[in-house]
Parts: sequence; structure tokens; C-alpha cells
Amino acid sequence: MSSKESCRNELRTAIRQLSDRCLYSASKWAAEQLVGIEQDPAKFTPSNTRFQRGSSSIRRRFRTNEITSTPPTGVAYVSTPVMEEDEVIHGDFYLLAKSYFDCREYRRAAHVLRDQTGKKSVFLRCYALYLAGEKRKEEEMIELEGPLGKSDTVNRELVSLERELSTLCKNNMIDPFGLYLYGLVLKEKGNENLARKVLVESVNSYPWNWSAWSELQSLCTTVDLLNSLNLSNHWMKEFFLASVYQELRMHNESLVKYENLQGNFTFSNYIQAQIAKARYSLREFEQVEVIFEDLLRNDPYRVEDMDTYSNVLYTKECFSALSYLAHRVIMTDKYRPESCCIIGNYYSLKGQHEKSVMYFRRALKLNKNYLSAWTLMGHEYVEMKNTPAAVDAYRRAVDINPRDYRAWYGLGQAYEMMGMPHYALHYFRKSVFFQPIDSRLWIAMAQCYESEQLHMLEEAIKCYKRAANCNDTEAIALHRLAKLHRELGHPEEAAFYYKKDLERMEAEEREGPNIVEALMFLATHYKAQKRFEEAEVYCTRLLDYTGPERETAKNLLRGMRIAQSSFPSMDVEHFHP
Amino acid sequence: MAGALKLPSAFAITPHKVSLCILVQIYASPSQVSVPFPFSSVSQHNRLGLYLLALTKSCDDILEPKLDQLISQLREIGGLLDHWLTDHLTSRLSSLSSPDDLFNFFNDMRGILGGPDSGVMEDDQVILDPNSNLGMFLRRCILAFNLLTFEGICHLLTNIGIYCKEAISSCSSYELRRLDDSGNDLESLSEYENMDLNLVFKKINEEMEARKRATEQVSFHLHLPKELSTLVEDIEVFADPKSEHNDKGRESSSYASSGDLLRDFDPNGGVFLRTNWQIQGYLTEQADAIEKHGSSFTLNAFELTLRQLQKLAPELHRVHFLRYLNSLYHDDYFSALENLHRYFDYSAGIEGFDFVPPTGCNSFGRYEIALLCLGMMHFHFGHPKQALEVLTEAVRVSQQHSNDTCLAYTLAAISNLLSEIGFSTTSGILGSPFSPMTSVGTSLSVQQQLFVLLKGSLKRAESLKLKQLVAANHLSMAKFDLTHVQRPLLSFGPKASMKLRTCPISVCKELRLGYHLISEFCCEGSTMTTDGAFSTAWLKNLQKPMGSLVLSQDNSSRNNSNPFLFCTQPSSIPGSVLQLVGSSYLHRATAWEIYGSAPLARVNALVYATCFADASSSSDAALVYVKLVQHLAVFKGYKEAFAALKIAEEKFLCVSKSWILILKLQLLHERALHRGHLKLAQQVCDELGVLASSVTAVDMDLKTEASLRHARTLLAAKQFSQAAAVAHSLFCMCYKFNLQVESASVLLLLAEIHMKSGNAVVGLPYALASLSYCQSFNLDLLRASATLTLAELWLSLGSNHTKTALSLIHGAFPMILGHGGLELSGRAYITEAKCYLSDPNFSVSDNPEVVLDPLRQASDELQALEYHELAAEAFYLMAIVFDKLGQLEKREEAAASFKNHIVALENSQNVEDLLLSV
Repeated sequence: MSSKESCRNELRTAIRQLSDRCLYSASKWAAEQLVGIEQDPAKFTPSNTRFQRGSSSIRRRFRTNEITSTPPTGVAYVSTPVMEEDEVIHGDFYLLAKSYFDCREYRRAAHVLRDQTGKKSVFLRCYALYLAGEKRKEEEMIELEGPLGKSDTVNRELVSLERELSTLCKNNMIDPFGLYLYGLVLKEKGNENLARKVLVESVNSYPWNWSAWSELQSLCTTVDLLNSLNLSNHWMKEFFLASVYQELRMHNESLVKYENLQGNFTFSNYIQAQIAKARYSLREFEQVEVIFEDLLRNDPYRVEDMDTYSNVLYTKECFSALSYLAHRVIMTDKYRPESCCIIGNYYSLKGQHEKSVMYFRRALKLNKNYLSAWTLMGHEYVEMKNTPAAVDAYRRAVDINPRDYRAWYGLGQAYEMMGMPHYALHYFRKSVFFQPIDSRLWIAMAQCYESEQLHMLEEAIKCYKRAANCNDTEAIALHRLAKLHRELGHPEEAAFYYKKDLERMEAEEREGPNIVEALMFLATHYKAQKRFEEAEVYCTRLLDYTGPERETAKNLLRGMRIAQSSFPSMDVEHFHP
Repeated sequence: MAGALKLPSAFAITPHKVSLCILVQIYASPSQVSVPFPFSSVSQHNRLGLYLLALTKSCDDILEPKLDQLISQLREIGGLLDHWLTDHLTSRLSSLSSPDDLFNFFNDMRGILGGPDSGVMEDDQVILDPNSNLGMFLRRCILAFNLLTFEGICHLLTNIGIYCKEAISSCSSYELRRLDDSGNDLESLSEYENMDLNLVFKKINEEMEARKRATEQVSFHLHLPKELSTLVEDIEVFADPKSEHNDKGRESSSYASSGDLLRDFDPNGGVFLRTNWQIQGYLTEQADAIEKHGSSFTLNAFELTLRQLQKLAPELHRVHFLRYLNSLYHDDYFSALENLHRYFDYSAGIEGFDFVPPTGCNSFGRYEIALLCLGMMHFHFGHPKQALEVLTEAVRVSQQHSNDTCLAYTLAAISNLLSEIGFSTTSGILGSPFSPMTSVGTSLSVQQQLFVLLKGSLKRAESLKLKQLVAANHLSMAKFDLTHVQRPLLSFGPKASMKLRTCPISVCKELRLGYHLISEFCCEGSTMTTDGAFSTAWLKNLQKPMGSLVLSQDNSSRNNSNPFLFCTQPSSIPGSVLQLVGSSYLHRATAWEIYGSAPLARVNALVYATCFADASSSSDAALVYVKLVQHLAVFKGYKEAFAALKIAEEKFLCVSKSWILILKLQLLHERALHRGHLKLAQQVCDELGVLASSVTAVDMDLKTEASLRHARTLLAAKQFSQAAAVAHSLFCMCYKFNLQVESASVLLLLAEIHMKSGNAVVGLPYALASLSYCQSFNLDLLRASATLTLAELWLSLGSNHTKTALSLIHGAFPMILGHGGLELSGRAYITEAKCYLSDPNFSVSDNPEVVLDPLRQASDELQALEYHELAAEAFYLMAIVFDKLGQLEKREEAAASFKNHIVALENSQNVEDLLLSV
């Protein structure tokens, strides 16, 4: 409990400091976590706990591995953030500058602080300059679209900022916020190693600045890089790790971290959304839907992460829910890439692919590097049978993030559609390389090998085996494996996989022609092997079905009885000595 | 993406264009005299006009020249006027300080345009015709300016600021040169006596003052606090990738010894990348260069250039293709694969392949081309099976999309693959899609399938009028005819009477048909040259006449670049055609080599080396040198061959597995064998074997050669049974992979092995078999040498067979003496002498010259070759003859020579140890 209390105190101070420095998104994040901490019911009246919605029943429905105790998050060696404040006279200028800043008049704010030397003022001046440059950059990007897509616009303030901040840093006159800004500038300039170092320094001395953490996260593209970071222990590090793991596709690790964090921050919307995203990646759609429903009930005007929710609704084909969501986000904020993406998803579900493409395109106009929009647009083009456009869209996604296995998969599918299975294989290989645990990818690759043009059945079998090993929900792999082995004349293997497939179908209480096929094969197989008892079992099960197989089963049974009766003595001699 | 592909935006106004407008204004300032104010002569005026025309023609720029580059060009054009021009330009540019100035500027521009109907000049007044090139340019500029939004105008203003600042920052070095320049000008003045000197001097004084003012201005800028000025520099570097680009270009050109083409970036040369079209041309040129120079092309420097280009023009996908080519020729499999896929994902195969007629430009894209390229890539990396799979898919897809052109190319590629790489069987690989072609069934052998494929693809190429492909197909057909006996495809039915021989006439016919290509291109003229490469060349050449008028101080650099310019003169025959025609000569040389006509082979190789060396790829050129050097070695001995090899080594980079390296090993091996350095021979032979099966792929030809040499080394070491075993397994391999020409020489070797081991009777059938092979493949020289071996075999069977042997030798002599090398004729002479000597009816004293003459010839030739063993034999025989004749002095002489050779042979052991230790 004391840990909760200390967290709360730390966050409260941090929020004040962050918003005093106009680091609004970081302070927003901190405030969200602050409210997310579970209150002590003894101390607070129900009116105080208004925010703490009592929907835990839904929330916990799927939490099987309930965490009972708060996890050891390590000793936080930085207790309460105390920052030195500038003098009062300068404080007046600061107040003016901050007001300008709040009105988005960044250059004016910077100008007011031009002669101030306090760390806080310097930071705000630099930050304002940076934002002014960013704003101009965005504007120019639209103004200056070259003939060949050339847009070499840069933030023109970066150079001077880098020079100033590096001098400050050298003279040790810089506070953690300045370091954050320095790291940001370095990252923009492409000096990633130094940026990483500076950001680590920043978060080690002031861990409550989530913006710094997320910049650091975007620089950790591999596990090795992550491990090379020298981070001090603090509970904020857990948030960071969880988020990095998610980016690195270590979803289970990430999920564990988030669930641990939920012990303290029980009501954090942020954590809830992140858990939903992780579960989405693990394809646990039911749970994701519940989580998002809950989230929207508590935070109805949320747009962040709602594209993931829309993806879930899309896969579950919930037309009305998706349209409701689209309506809601468009009323909240029309010009967010997420909003456009959701609408695109809706139109896609409706089969209006042209409109869908239009909205994805709008999303991309708002954020050129919006990965999932490129991929989804590729899917739309595939639906519209415009394969070159699809290929192009997928390729852009892949060039933005080469680890995006969905886009690789899409590329493979597009080429397979065009009747180029051998060419497609390259892409499927890429896709399974980045996501080796997804059975669908393996199955797609196997089907590619199986196609009549290639007819490379041995390779197909290898792929199906991999698919069967990674939780193939649609149970295609086992059946195909059995069939392929039978075609290739490997009865033993075929029997093995038919049996497995049968067990699986029984467990899932599935019916269909596959069962009959499996039973039929097993019965004949065991009969040929002279293992009559097993064969009889399968034959009798076949009798439950109608159709020609039933007759065959009867025949088989009859044949076996005759065979058994002719050699009864042999059996006796062998088994009952 | 095909949907979102942006059209090249219309006509954007840039600082460079503003300066052009200023220059146009100077050129066409409305004045009343025929030569407007600053110009002193009409020719000067015209020169500027020409220059402006050239600049305006290349106005759809990706990269534009910077101000200082423009100024340095102006210096060459303007001659005496340059200072006035540049000062006017810079002052005019720097006077543009607010958007309103720009508005006024473009309003002024309107003034120098004539009215729409002012076709006639009034009062000698210079007015721009609005429909002239310059007038159009000006109108476009004005229109573009009027279309600009206010933000656009602001950008233009800031860009002009940067544009001027850059020129200033590079001013320091420029100033120095400029001062020199003025000195030069003063000197050169005396040459122009008809000029009004006073006027000129006055003008120069004015200029000097103006320049001083300008430099003051400059120095004012330079006196800024240091921090700020560095800041300015930094921003420039950052905001303007062009300058970086140039640096990179310069760097790379200093790396690339042979990559003259990178001079394009040389700022002093004054040639810059221009239009989209020209960039394409540049890339095409580079692609040719990569293919030509192979792995000697610099990888990283070019990669940097490409990366820059990609940054500047993200929608120009061909850059990816160049990256693919670059990594392909540097054997970087993964990067090649990645870039190939990326290129075709972006371009859908529609961009880039200019020679594909854009007829059925459907919305599906042309991914079959991607497959074709992928197949070729696998082929290049030595993955024949994968290549065949991919190409099979390419055949299917191009049939589906009815892309006949691609189909023809794919078939050609497949037949090339089949003929280059030994497949023992294609069953299971060449499957159903080939059924239309190989309707006869799959029972055909690889060779038969190859023949059918070749015929099919030739027919297809002819019907599609793909001339280059037709020529290439003729060449590969010739290659096929050279090494394959045509057999009837059907194994039943009425058989056409067919001789089981290759047909040299058909080879010649095919080669000649391939050669027709060049005449076709000669007639057609310029249709092929309208590509971007030409337009870059055009700009380069444009500079030349003007540059030569101005006596510029940097003569040296100009001289350097002149031959380069000469090379890239747009000839009416494109490089690829030249390459094809050249390779037809190469084929001829090889064909004659195989048929055994040394002089003709040499002549063809020489023609290639002299006429097509520029157009050929470096590996082909090296191959020709190899052939010439081999010729030298066989006919002139090793001394000259090694001297020639040295020259070739300097000319071509001796990288791993290059022709030159192989040649060196071959020469070393042969010399070692002749001199009796057997250990060295074995070592060299092993190295050759290693080269044959490298990581990338097994080279069948080289592999056969290596084991053939291995067998020969063993034979020389008198390890007969081992040699026979090696030769035997080699023969099996040759049989399996249908290497029939090689089989003939392996059989001959087997015959020799048995002869040397004393089993002449066993050797006879081998020699006969070899003879029959030689007959059916028309290998005349090899046949002569087989006949010689046969004669030797007969001779060793006993003295009663000398008649047969002698008649055999005499039959072969014309061929041996006409075309055979030193070793062969030496051997023939010795055998002849031996025949006479062992003939019991022959008496030396009656007719000594019959024996002595061939022996003398043989000893001369073998000494040149340093073939100790045979030379010793010749001298030995000579000594015996002299002994019989009673010429004791001469006998002693011959005996001494004999001893020398024997000693040399025995000492070879020691020498060799020395050699090996070194």
C-alpha cells in the first residue's frame, strides 16, 4: 500500500512539473496513471471513487492468472522529484512565455525567454523552438511536394538546438528535461547511438517523463539494443519494458509485465488498452473486445488505440458496432489517422472498397508512416483485384518496417493470386521468418508449395508440420498433413496425423466429412496392418454415419471377422502363453 | 503504387530558373541597337543565346546547378563579359528580398516578350518571340509564378536566399581562381587587336570596382560572428542534399579508376544531372558500365550515389534496379534478391524496360519480367535448378498474360541456361508448360529439348521482330551446332538420311545471320538512340564548341575529359548491338579454334580485340586476350606468352576466377609439364580444380579441364594406372553431361596413356574412337593429333608397321604443319624420323637429310618450348644418325645438347624445390 501511496505522490509532483514545462503528453500520461491507481476504499467516500468504475467483474473475467501480490518492482532510488525553481523575476517572463506556448505561439514564447539562463527557461525556449520548427516542417511538407515525391523538408531549428544543447550538456548545465530534448533532436538528426545514451541519462535521473521513455523505446529496435541499455530500477522502467516487448513482438512477456503493473495501477486505461493490443496480437479477439467495450464505457471519447478495436470488430464482422465506433470517433476527432482507419475498416467490411481506400489514403495523408493503414490498404486493393497497387502498398509498409509480417504475407498472397507461386515463396519465407508462430503463414506457404505449378509436396509437408506445431486454430494443417502423407504413400505417418486430427475434432466436437475420411483411412490402414481391434473400433464408429462409407465399414468388419476366425489359435498362442 | 503514382508536376519555379530569367532578360533587353548594351559583338551575343537555349532545354530538373556552378559556366561562355554577367546576376538575385520584388520581377519579364503578332522585328529591336524556345520558357516561368500560392512564393524567396548564400560560401576558392582569370584575360587581350581597347579597359575597371563592392558585401557576410556563420553552413549542408551529392560524386570518381562516367558529378566539368529523362539515361549508362566492368566497378561509391538519388527522387524506382545490378555483380546474393523484389514490387515491371513495346499495357503489371530477372539472377549465382524453376514460372505467366516478347526472352534464357550448365536430366523440371514446345514427349534428351527450345525461341523472336534477340538466338544456335550432332527427333518413322556429323556450314550460316544485326541497325539510324543516355551526351557535347572558343585556363582538365566525350559520342549503333556483333566474332574465334584453324581463330580474336573492345564487357575482352595469349604460347613458346600475359594482367583486374587467372594457371601448368616440374604442375592443377568448384557454382568446362590436366600430370609422372583411372572417370563424366568435344580429347589421352605404359594394343581402340569423334565433330586439328598418336601406336607395335605409320603421318602433315603448334609438329617430326630409322629397308647413309631435316626442325621447335624430354629424344636420334654417318664432330655436338636436356630434366627436381620454396 505504501508503494501505491508513494507512486501517487511521485506522480502528483511529476504532473505539476511536466505541465509546468509544457510537456503535455507526458503529463497527460502521468495523470492517467495517477488516477489509475486503486484508492484505499477505507479512506475514500464513494464520491471520491467515482472514477474507479466498478466493472471489475468484466475486467477480470478473463484474467485467469490473477496476480495476488504487487510485484517487486525494485527499489525506487529517486523518491520524490524536486526540481530547482527559477527566481521570481524571471518567473514572470516564464509565465508569459508559458502562456504564449499554451496558445501555440511557439516563436513568441521562445523570444520572451531569449535572455533567461535558468534551466527551466532554457528548456522551454529550446522546446518551443523545436516545436516551432516541427510545425513549420509539417506545413512545408504539404506545400512542397516535389514531382518525384521528394520531400526533404527538415526541422530547421535542429542544428542550432543541437549545438546549444550539446554545449550545455558538455558543461553539465542541463537538467533531465533538457536531456530529453537533446535526445529528441539527436534522434531526428539520425545520431541514434548518442540519442539513446542521452535519453537513458534523462530517464535515469527523471523517470516520470513518459515522452522520454517512448522516444527511447522507438530507438530500441532489437533485443540486443534493449539489453545494452543501462537503466536504473524504477517502476516506470516496467512500463517501458512492457511497451518495448510489445514492439519487439514478445507479446507474452509484455502481457506479463502489464498484468503485473495492473496490480498497482488497477484502473489505468492505458494499461488496459495495451493489454488489449497485446492480446490482439495473440489473436484472442473475444477478450480484446470485452476489454475495449469496458474501456469505451469508462472513456467514451478515446480515439487512441481504437483502430485495434475496429480491427477486432472487423474480424468478428460486427457491422453495427463498427459503424457505431466510426460514428463516435468521427464526432470526437475527424482528422486523426485512427479515425480514418476505422472508417476505412467499416467500408471494407461493407464491401465498398473504393471508399475504404479513400479513407485509408486520408489516414496516410495524416501520417505517412502509419504502418497498418498501408497494409490494410493493400488488403483493399487485393479485394479490388488491383494487384499492382496492392503490391505497392504492401511494399511501402514493408519498407517502413521490415518486420511487418502481415505485409510480407500480403505480398506473397498477391503474387500467388497472379499465379506466381514460386515468386510468392520469397515473401512467405520473409513473413514466417518474422512471425514463426503464426500457423496461418505456414499454411499459406504450404499451400503455395502444394500448388499444381510447383507441386513440391515434401516442402509443403514441412510447412504444415510447423503450422501444426503452432496452434493451428482452423485445424487445416493436420488434415492436409494426413492427406499429403497418404498421397505420397507414407501410410504410417498418414495414420498418425489422421489420428491426431480425429482426436482434435473430437475434442472440439466438430462434425464433417473430414471425420469420415479419417475414420475410413484408419480402419483400412489398421486392417492392412492386421491390428484388427483398432480397425474394428474405427469401423464401428463409421457405422454411425450414413453414406457409402457405412457399407464399406460393414464389409471391412465382415472381412476382419473372417480373418480373425481363421487364425484364432495363433492369437491364443501369442498372447496367452 | 499504380493508383497513387504522382504525375511529374508541371513546371516548378526555382531559383535556378529565376537566374535563367535574369540572363534571358540580359540577352533580350529591349534596346534599339542590334547588339544590346553589354555585348561587344554579335557572336558573343549569340553564344549566350545558345547557352541559354541549352539550359532551358533541360529545365525539368531533379538536380539543378547551383549558383556558383552556373557562374563558372558563365565564365566560359561569356568570355570578357563574364564579370559583368555574374555581377549583374548576383546583384539582381540578391535584390530580391521580399515577395513584392518577385512580383515586380516577373512583371518586368513580361516586358521583354513581344506581342502575340510581332513576328517581324521592328527597328532592329531585340524582342523575344513568345513562341520561340526562350519565349516559351519565359512564358512558362511567368505562368508558373502566377500559379504559385503565397506560401510558394515565400519558399521561392527563401530558396533564392539559400541559393545565393551557397555561392558565397564557396566564394573564397572561387575568388582566387577569378583573379587568375582576369590576368589571363588581360594577356589574351593583345590578341584581339580589332577591339576597342579603351572601351574594354574601361569596362574592366568598372568591373573591378563592382567586384570590389561585391567582395565587400561578401566580407560583410563573412564578418558575422563565427558561430552564426558556421550555423549557416550547417544549415546548408543539411537543407541541401545536392551539395552532399556532389561531394559524393567527386569522391566516387576518385575511387573509380575506370568509372569515368561518374564525372557527371564533377562540378568543374559543368555537367550535371538534369531531367528525369536524363537521370534515366544516366542510370542506363551506369547499368551498362556495371555490366561492362563487372566486379571491378566500385560497389560502395556507387551505392552511395544511388542512395542519394533515391532520397532525392523516391518515386524513381529504377534506382532499386541499379542497386540490384550493383550487388549482383559484386556477388551479394541477399542484397541483390532484396533489391530485385523491391524494384518489381514498386514498378510492377512497367517502368524501365524500354524495349518492351507498351502495347498491351494492362492493369496487371508485368511481373513476368520480374520472374525473368529473378531467373537470370539465380543463373548468375549458379543456382541452375532454382533458375529453371523460376524461368518455368516465367514461361507460364507470360503465356497467361500473352506477353510474347517476354516469352521469347525467357525461352532464350532457358536455352542459354541449358547449354551453359550441364544438366544430366531435366525430367521433372521441364514440365507441363513446355508441352506446346516439346509436344514430342518427355522422352527427349536434354540436347534434343534444347534444340527444340532454341528453334522455338528463334521463331518467336523472328515473328516479334526482336532483332537483338534474333541475333543472340542465332549465336546460341551456332554454339549448339558447333558441339552437337543433329539427330532426328523422332525415333521411328521414315528416317531422313542424316550424316552423324556436326555441320560447320550451318555454324557459319548462323554466325553470319547474327552479324546481320549490325547492318539492320545501320539502316535504321537514330530510332534506338532516343534514350536518355543520348540526352546527357547531348548536353556534354553542347559545351564543347563553346568551350573551345574560350581559351580557358583549365586546359588540362578539358583534355582529360575530351577522349571521354569522344567515347560517348552518340553513334548510330547502340552499345548492346555492338556487344552482340562482337560476341559473334568471339564465337567465330572459338569455332575456328575447335575446328582447328589457328590463323582464322587468331584473326577473329584480333578483330574483336581491336574493334569491339570498347563495347564489350570486361570478361569478354579478357577472354579474347586469353585466346591470343594461348595462341602465342602454342606457336611461339612460353617466353612471349608470359610477356603478353603481363600486359593482359595490367589491363584487366586479376580478381578471383577471372579469365586471366585461369590462363596464368594453364600456362604455368603446361610449362611445368614440359620442363618436368611435376610437383609444381600438380600444385597448379589442384588450384585450377579449386577454381572450378567455387562456392557459387561448378564450372563444368573448367572442371573437365582441371581433371584432364591432372591426368596428364600423372602421365608425365609415369603413374600410368592412376592416370588411366582419372581419365576414365573423366570420360564417364563427359559422357553423362554430353560434353562430346571433350570426350574426344579424353579418349586421345587414354590412348596416349596406354601407349606410354607399353600397351599399344590397348591404346589402339581408344585412338580410333577418338578419331571417329573428331570426324563427326569436324575437329580437324585434334584429328590430326589423334592420327599422329595412332601412327605412334603402330610404330610401337613393331618395325613391320612402319609403312602404315608413315602413311598416317604423311596424311596428317598438312594439317599439323599448317595449324598445329610447336609441340605437335615437333612430335610429328620425331615420329617421322623414328619411322624411317626403324624401317629395315631404309639406310641412313643413302639419304641422311630425310631423317636429319625433320630432327633439326623438331629440336628447334622443342627447344623454344623448353620441352626437355622430347628435345633430348630428338638430339639422341640426331646423334645416332651422325654416328652412323661418321660425322663425329656433329655427333658430339648433338650428344652434348642431349646431355644438356637430360641434365636439365634431372635437375628439374632441385629447381622445382627451389621454386616451391619461393
